[in-house]
Amino acid sequence: MRIVFCGVGALGSSAALLCRNLAATLVFVDFDRVESKNLAAQAFVKPSIGKNKAEALKLQLANFHGVKAEAFGVRLEATNTEALLGTADLVVDCFDNEKSRKLVSEFCRERTKPLVHAALAADGSFGLVRWDARFVADAEDHEGQATCEGGEHLPLIGLVTAALARSIQAFLQDRSERDFMISLNGVVET
Amino acid sequence: MAILNITYNGMSADYARPVDDWSSDADVRRFAVEIVRSGGLRGLHIANLPHHAFDHYVVDRFDGPRGQKRIYLRPKVPFGVAERAE
Repeated sequence: MRIVFCGVGALGSSAALLCRNLAATLVFVDFDRVESKNLAAQAFVKPSIGKNKAEALKLQLANFHGVKAEAFGVRLEATNTEALLGTADLVVDCFDNEKSRKLVSEFCRERTKPLVHAALAADGSFGLVRWDARFVADAEDHEGQATCEGGEHLPLIGLVTAALARSIQAFLQDRSERDFMISLNGVVET
Repeated sequence: MAILNITYNGMSADYARPVDDWSSDADVRRFAVEIVRSGGLRGLHIANLPHHAFDHYVVDRFDGPRGQKRIYLRPKVPFGVAERAE
């Protein structure tokens, strides 16, 4: 089983750590680099500052947990989706921008690849884990609306990533596709 | 009929009474304001909730895990920031 995490920022990096003991090869795709501000809410450590996020997460899994993973420190584009996602058995969308999310969705729908999305409300009060069949991207209220950033949302991020990891685990177990809504007072299966 | 779930200010709860599942999204939003104002939602009673509180919220309509119709009124989870330069 090959699980490709598209984006290893706040959601992707934390979810990947929670999936480290699954019977699967974890693959990370992210062009971004670790910055000091990321340490507040993403699963990176201080020595990783300046490194590509996908490579940094691969190194952390190997050095701290003895888990082998693969990393592609590139931006997902229409020209490389086949190369990056073609061999995936499960795709996990943790991107934070419209263009990349749509690219992943379109590719997976064309190839009928299982795809699960995770997303956060900008104010850090709510999150979603939703499989592609029921996922409709929400429009921004205004152009460039910020993602949920900042360390103060870390507890909510933890809830969402735990729900995402649980949904991935359930898929590996019996191919079930479990959706969740996550708020500050709990996680509800929908 | 459907069960209405409302998420607001980090709290999420089901309204105790079923609602018409053919209600429009606008109707759902208006009804939700009244429910929260009146204390009809356990753990979420805001008497002075603005009438436009749910204007930018999303209305999802699904069948629940046990086949019952459900309506979810929830915050948006937008894509996020404009792409960063590489």
